[in-house]
Amino acid sequence: MPLLTLATFLPILGGLALIVLPNRSARVAHGMSIAVTGVVFMLTLVIWSRGTIAGGFAQIEELAWIPAIGAAYRLGLDGLSLPLVLLTSLLFFLSAIYSARISDRAPSYVVLMLMLETAALGTFMALDGLLFYVFFEVSLVGMYFMIAGWGYEDRQRAALMFFIYTLLGSLPLLLAIIGLYLSSGTFDMRVWIDMPPLTGIAAMLALIAMLFTFAVKIPAFPVHTWLPAAHVQAPTAGSVILAGVMLKFGTYGLVRFALQMTPEAFAQAGQVILAVGVVSALYGAFAALAQSDLKKMIAYTSINHMGYVVMGVAVAALTVDLRIRTIALDGATLQMVSHGLVTGALFFLLGMLQDRAHSRDMSEFGGLLGRVPWLGWSFILMAFASLGLPGLAHFPAEFQVFLATLNTAPWAIIAILAIVVTAGLYLRAIAAVFLGSENEKWLEMRDLDRREKLVIVPLLILTVLVGVAPSWLINMIHTTMESLSF
Amino acid sequence: MTILVLTLLGPLLAALAMFTLRRMPEVLALTGAVFGFAGALGLFVAVSDGVVVSISLPFLPDFPIRLVASPLTATLSMVVATVAAMVLIYAAGYMRKDPERVRFFGTMLLFVTAMQALVLSGDWITLLAAWEMMGFASYLLIGFWYGRAGVASAAMRAFLYTRSADSGLYIGVFILIGMSGTSEIAVTLISTGTPTLVAGVLLLVAAMGKSAQVPLQDWLMRAMAGPTPVSALLHSATLVAAGAILLIRTAPMLPDGVLLVVGIVGGITAVITGLIALAERDLKRLLAASTGSQYGLMLVAIGAGAPIAALLHLIAHAAIKSSLFLGAGVFQHDRDGTGLETLAGAGRARPGIFAGFAIAALALAGIPPLAAFFSKDAIIAAALDSTAAPWLLPLALAGSVLTGAYMGRALNVLWDGDAGPVQVPVPLMTIGMGILVALATGLGLGFGALEHMLGAEIEKPGWIVPAMGLAVGLAGLILGWFVPPARLLGPLLTPAQNGFAVAGGMDGLILRPALAIAANCEAMEQRLLRAQVGTVRRIGLGTAQLAEHADAALFAFSLWVGQLSMRLGLASKFTDTNGIDAAIFGFVQRMIAAGAQARRLQSGFIHRELALTAIGIALIVAGLLAAPYYS
Repeated sequence: MPLLTLATFLPILGGLALIVLPNRSARVAHGMSIAVTGVVFMLTLVIWSRGTIAGGFAQIEELAWIPAIGAAYRLGLDGLSLPLVLLTSLLFFLSAIYSARISDRAPSYVVLMLMLETAALGTFMALDGLLFYVFFEVSLVGMYFMIAGWGYEDRQRAALMFFIYTLLGSLPLLLAIIGLYLSSGTFDMRVWIDMPPLTGIAAMLALIAMLFTFAVKIPAFPVHTWLPAAHVQAPTAGSVILAGVMLKFGTYGLVRFALQMTPEAFAQAGQVILAVGVVSALYGAFAALAQSDLKKMIAYTSINHMGYVVMGVAVAALTVDLRIRTIALDGATLQMVSHGLVTGALFFLLGMLQDRAHSRDMSEFGGLLGRVPWLGWSFILMAFASLGLPGLAHFPAEFQVFLATLNTAPWAIIAILAIVVTAGLYLRAIAAVFLGSENEKWLEMRDLDRREKLVIVPLLILTVLVGVAPSWLINMIHTTMESLSF
Repeated sequence: MTILVLTLLGPLLAALAMFTLRRMPEVLALTGAVFGFAGALGLFVAVSDGVVVSISLPFLPDFPIRLVASPLTATLSMVVATVAAMVLIYAAGYMRKDPERVRFFGTMLLFVTAMQALVLSGDWITLLAAWEMMGFASYLLIGFWYGRAGVASAAMRAFLYTRSADSGLYIGVFILIGMSGTSEIAVTLISTGTPTLVAGVLLLVAAMGKSAQVPLQDWLMRAMAGPTPVSALLHSATLVAAGAILLIRTAPMLPDGVLLVVGIVGGITAVITGLIALAERDLKRLLAASTGSQYGLMLVAIGAGAPIAALLHLIAHAAIKSSLFLGAGVFQHDRDGTGLETLAGAGRARPGIFAGFAIAALALAGIPPLAAFFSKDAIIAAALDSTAAPWLLPLALAGSVLTGAYMGRALNVLWDGDAGPVQVPVPLMTIGMGILVALATGLGLGFGALEHMLGAEIEKPGWIVPAMGLAVGLAGLILGWFVPPARLLGPLLTPAQNGFAVAGGMDGLILRPALAIAANCEAMEQRLLRAQVGTVRRIGLGTAQLAEHADAALFAFSLWVGQLSMRLGLASKFTDTNGIDAAIFGFVQRMIAAGAQARRLQSGFIHRELALTAIGIALIVAGLLAAPYYS
């Protein structure tokens, strides 16, 4: 059974079915959304159980598409993409559950979400350059409408900025893909990885083009400015998908394209890329410290966390020690998953807080912990996960990235300052919102209901599980990274 | 192996059961503590027979979690389990009326679990993880009464101070693992060379943060915002002890240069925090400052090359300091406060508790035959024998005088005053404290056997060392009892009361610069945003004009950019002097007005976008198909 294809296209088919359905009430739409994303999640679990192989892609599904130009419909998986696929299907499923309260134009919302899921799964599983680009771009359109249609007060502006920014950002990638095609005569990404077709100056130009695209998407300093604006205005599920899934397009592309397809140029530019990662990590942390808008604060910490991923990938390219290289890539990949779980949960929780209070500014709150213990303790746990507390999801990833960094480019360990800064900003937010004397404005605030717990609890459990016993996840990554060709 | 797991799982499972069941917190807590104690006792007995118990669990590839019970780690585990059990018994009485006992006891047990993991850790990742987990648990415990004023900031400060110092542990661990290729502590201890020196310094920084050594001493006094049993546990056998334990365990690796710094940092801390303790106006804060000074003395011993002396003092101090805090907690309940003025005469009202408190105080001052007499002698002897004796010995002796002085003062305050009404009995609190006082009294007699088990017997010093130790201890006690601190400290009183904050303390050195950097980043963020929006707009407008005048071929070529430029081109018509904001809003309003309904506009838009995307892709594909002809 072509499970990869099924998982990829089931959401969009569900969306199309909803469009032709005679009854398009909010209830039916959300029912459809939960059912489809649930089934897709199950499918990805089955895909997981089928496993990956060392040194290449597994579960390949291939169909002729445009044979004349060597473009084909090709899907496949390895230890880099599989964890991201699982993360994607989980976050979409939880988003569907969370979004069930949305009554405003529910069918359109659901169609957009389902389209986004197809685009996201396709992006991670595509093994054809052209196909990858199509999925990559479609996701952009979907997120634009998500923000513009269901966002908060200043949504149109944020959506337009997001759109222009990332659209301009993705053009260079297209040029790089054309370049790879022209020099190899195929769009098969496996060929591009096994025998990088570009060399010398051409490879460097292609790398620069790809880095630009992925830096915007990741986002890395100084092309990150769209992210806080988009996050603040995006609806909750939009923020979760944006941070949890779409930022990983950037880091995934960084490894899959930039590192694997132009490895020599990547190693030459390694110190610069590492510097971008270090600056992003520190800048994101400090900028987050300056925020009083909670959503904006979490958005900036994403820049910080993604900065660690960039560092990990850069270190992997720089080092000559195979063991360190594997540690760095293991850490970078695990960090992508951890960030999806933790930041996804944090955006859900802030959404729940905003649903209740219609405010995001930390100075508006105070002493909420006794009033809404579920919300408060979940936020505290996830905040500590985000600041890298051992026993929670970010620690193993960040530990590996820093370990590899120090033993490859010791100067870059300066980024570890960011773990103190993030500790400071999260503790400040916790103190302002949940501790201290109770703000009388919120005496009536109710705690999480069943549906909301259903969304948060799986993420809490996974965050602890990845933190305490990461081997079930990291072994799959490790097998691929040990034999990653570049 | 089972007993090793029991030591950790006892408290951990009890905590989980407590959070799940949400009832019978005291019973579950004591059950967990008893199982943990049984495990630790089992380990202690096993290793005293010369067996090394260890266990390895998968964690990261190549880096498993290792727990090891050696004579040293099993001894420490025993100390932790004993103090934890007694403090929990006491807390069952102390927290009797608190509505959130489940949260309290659950967090306490997590805290104990983390500490057991730390002392038994056989690899750096476990140690680091336990180290930070303890910081988290103490954050929760110090912030237990989070609704009260100042509590949130005290908890935050404790976590931030220690985490800042923890970055030293992180980097030190990375260096050690990078050098030896394994995370096993025992293997890394034999490394040498410059990297080891750097790693040693970094470990010292981390230890200074946890053990509240100068200049990172301030958080410990503020941590008193938590319930008293928390302070008792934090200060005696757990959080603060972690720093000294780290240095005791890594002492074989530390180069001489680092050891000298360790000794001097410890000596200075012993004096500075001793002075702070003497100037304190609150009993719990006095005891907290005293903790800093006692750990300073342990660092002196490590610096003098006698980690075993430090270990003995750590054990003695664990029993003594927990007794003192538990006593203070009883007085606190009686008088609703811990200010020294509030507590005047509180000891008279409870002679039994006061006697226990006094025994512990005398023990800490080093009066024979109480526990710290032996360990303090060992420290003074080590300082005397050390090559750095001219530095270490005066500091150690001054620290000991101050120890006597602040304990003498505390005793004087508690005794000297009106007894007040007779108090209700506190059986559970008395039991917990009583056993710890008994240990504080008699532990010293077991030190010889312990040294034998650890294979590091300390030579019994001649008469001069005990005489010196006794003399300074007694002198301090007498001074503290009779002379008020204002006269004793003279011009040092005000700086001591301010905690000797150098250059504005941590706030001035770290917090304000960090916030200033953050503000600069935010300002830069705004500039960056303006510049980027401006650039994109200029490019967009230029492209739009180009597109207007260009022919169809050019238009097809720039279709991708055109999608954008058409938008901005449209937007530009609405721009007069209002800038991009007005342009965008005008554009959006125009679009909304143009569409019949928002819904139709939205769904129509998807199709158009998809169509555009499809056309764009088709054009590219066409271009690519033609590639063989033009390339």
